[in-house]
Amino acid sequence: MRVLISLAAVTVLAFSACENGSRPSSSGGAATPGGTLVISSGGEPDVLFPPLMATSTAHQITELVYDHLADVGPSMNTFGDADFQPALAKSWTWSPDSLSIQFHLDPAAKWHDGQPVRASDVVTTYKIYTDSATGSPTAATLESIDSVTASDSVTVTFWFAKHSPTQFFDAASQMLIIPAHLLKDARGQALRTTSLAQTPVGSGRFRFDSWKAGASAQITADTANYRGRPKLDRVIWAFASDPNTLFTRLLGGEADLLEQISPPEVPQLATHKEIRSAIIDGLDYNFVCFNLRDPANSTRPHPLFADRELRRALTMLVDRKRIVQSVYDSLAAPALGPTVRAYPTTDTTLQQIPYSPETATRILDSLGWRVTGRDSIRRKSGRPLEFTLTVPGPSRNRVNMGVIIQNQLAQAGVKMNIDKLDFGAFIDREKHHAFDAIMGGWHVDPSPGGVRQTWGIAGATEGGSNYGYYMNPIFDARLDSALSSSNPTERRARFKQAYQTIIDDAPAIWLAEPKTLIAIHHRFHTTKLRPDAWWANIADWYVPTGERIARDSVGLRQ
Amino acid sequence: MIAYLTGRLAQTVVVVVLVTTIAFFLIHAAPGDPFGAAMENPKVTEAVRAQWRASYGLDRPLPEQFVKYIASVARGDLGWSFSRQRPVAAVLKETLPNTLLLMSVALVASFILGIFLAVLQAMKPKSLTDKIIGGISLFLFSMPEFWLALMALFLLAYHFPVFPIGGMRDEVMHSSYGFGGRVADILRHTVLPALTLTLLYSAVVARYQRAALLDALPAEYIKTARAKGVTEKSIVRRHALRNALLPIITLFGLAFPALLTGAVFVEKVFAWPGMGGVIVSSIDSRDYPLLVASVIIGSVLVAFGSLIADLLYRVADPRLRDDH
Repeated sequence: MRVLISLAAVTVLAFSACENGSRPSSSGGAATPGGTLVISSGGEPDVLFPPLMATSTAHQITELVYDHLADVGPSMNTFGDADFQPALAKSWTWSPDSLSIQFHLDPAAKWHDGQPVRASDVVTTYKIYTDSATGSPTAATLESIDSVTASDSVTVTFWFAKHSPTQFFDAASQMLIIPAHLLKDARGQALRTTSLAQTPVGSGRFRFDSWKAGASAQITADTANYRGRPKLDRVIWAFASDPNTLFTRLLGGEADLLEQISPPEVPQLATHKEIRSAIIDGLDYNFVCFNLRDPANSTRPHPLFADRELRRALTMLVDRKRIVQSVYDSLAAPALGPTVRAYPTTDTTLQQIPYSPETATRILDSLGWRVTGRDSIRRKSGRPLEFTLTVPGPSRNRVNMGVIIQNQLAQAGVKMNIDKLDFGAFIDREKHHAFDAIMGGWHVDPSPGGVRQTWGIAGATEGGSNYGYYMNPIFDARLDSALSSSNPTERRARFKQAYQTIIDDAPAIWLAEPKTLIAIHHRFHTTKLRPDAWWANIADWYVPTGERIARDSVGLRQ
Repeated sequence: MIAYLTGRLAQTVVVVVLVTTIAFFLIHAAPGDPFGAAMENPKVTEAVRAQWRASYGLDRPLPEQFVKYIASVARGDLGWSFSRQRPVAAVLKETLPNTLLLMSVALVASFILGIFLAVLQAMKPKSLTDKIIGGISLFLFSMPEFWLALMALFLLAYHFPVFPIGGMRDEVMHSSYGFGGRVADILRHTVLPALTLTLLYSAVVARYQRAALLDALPAEYIKTARAKGVTEKSIVRRHALRNALLPIITLFGLAFPALLTGAVFVEKVFAWPGMGGVIVSSIDSRDYPLLVASVIIGSVLVAFGSLIADLLYRVADPRLRDDH
């Protein structure tokens, strides 16, 4: 109960003090640049070369050191170009047929080594991202782009094979522009060994300073940046792999920011008045995914889960609200489907399969699954209603949810075993579809189009990401219709139809949509935090001179 | 002596090759692959993962991968770390010295403290001092490393902020210090993790050393010394201790590999940028080259520690020398 009260207090505090995570500007004090932000970070970057990076910390660092052509706006609307903000491109022009976009680069933009940013850099960047020898994870998101050409030194044109509502997003915000002159025609494996992979040279408002393996990474203000000097002097990521150490660093004042605070830490956080919290919608959702095909032979239907009515009945037995409350407290909401609330295209009035054990029991009885023996397990033709849920052991939340579901299903005579695996083995099972049901989770892109790969027919091939083999052409058709719609109201309605189709089919039990609770020292005045990248506007955060502590006044080394 | 050393060296090579072979095949037999984490990123298609596997030669038959790996190790190339995207040698160069620093400080301190405590106990066996030290040693001996580390962290870095919470240096101020300041900064950050390890290891050393001293004290030469009127303090320190050091030499040899692996949990709790984190993350991420290289270094240290212990035995016990 104490946890609940404290969490509620923190939540109220967060929303009253800082709408959307921002802290209102105080009068004066922000004029003099300065300040050091120390982020207590649980993960280390894998590589700092944008086309190859995969970890969240690598994204945080590189997205502050490099620039996109244009940035996603605070609304996170990726359709059209209305909500985008100029970055490396000062402006852009659409062709009358919308099949090409001409970006006009800021002529004042310079790399951190002093060389000017040129259109040829954008062309080279596109080539590297899409070169199959590079193996960039981002390459698939650039498939709508046919080619990129330089018209002059500061004008670059993106050509598209066909029109799509997210083509501007694909061109402007999927790639971080990298300096061609420092790559010297390197390609493929050689890109991993370039100096840029460890010491990036970008055009962003922060320049890279250092990366000490296992210890820290540091970026400092680019004082002569074409978009203006950042208000902070430096940002440091201090790495630690132990959650207790990460949290203690924040409470002890050695760090200023920690993302992903867990519910048990909230009461202690609430006692530290110098730390405020910001809750932002997340881009993750997790679920129990049913395998619709037999894991022993994928050409055959699954003996249990090929039956839509059985899946719906099992979904009705799971009290998702209670699970989310128990595991996440108020730091998550019940998932709506294969989407997140942060998308402007998500309609939160989607009709969910209700929690109704009575109805579920009736359906199971009608399907022939009845309790016949002393063990209270339902059987049909001698076969018990029993399956195994595979969960990733290191994920405490997913394991806890699995245990509660096991208990709820058992009350209705359904036996669910839990197979806890280390992450490598878990992924291996997912990849080979070797499971009855799996406790999955997706972190989604700022654009909702990725659902085609994870739940559409295209992803149900060998090697695809639709691990449960859910295949419904109606869902795919409605999704395509939504993704090709240019009218925002119509688009939202069509997405709703598509999501409703998959929710009704119940290929998964949609569990939780975790929010991100970021704790930050009160002296930092922040801007609105974007759900997909809370760090996006760090260059505009500041510490008023009157609130600075010793490390804020170190200054920049010359 | 040269023949002895040559023989031991040959043994070491055989052990390292065997351990490397077993480690290589075992880690490859574990489910999952180095690019498994990317499976949770829908943007990473199977084609991309296949491209990554091919670029590291992971699409080749395992025996072929093994032969290539052994050949590259023989040339001094430990491979490329998948998870850290840099040569394995570069990763080890950054992290191994940090672990060696922490562990050498901890080992030296724990042997000094452990022997000192054992002498105190042995001088008055079954006394209150003996019982208190024995009780504390047993308590520390029974405690998991991570628990003791967490307690030290909460007590001496958080509630009473005497020492820094984690890391090896002050990431903001370190580079602005002079040479002396930098050394002092690193020492300040070393205290808590080293103290935790010292408490743990000294408890072990004290228990071994006390038993060895109590075995030595009833010996005839001790009785002779007593008969000659030598003080009890001098008997324990000068006569019994020297002869009771043999078990400690064994312990020292066994502790040597801990220079690499012993601090996994302590490094994790104190965010010490050493080999502990490297080993754990290489297992989690199935970073085969990095993990096998760590195993190679571990096995070399085991063999080296065992050799040093044997040599010290020969110095301490003349009966083991060739001329006897």
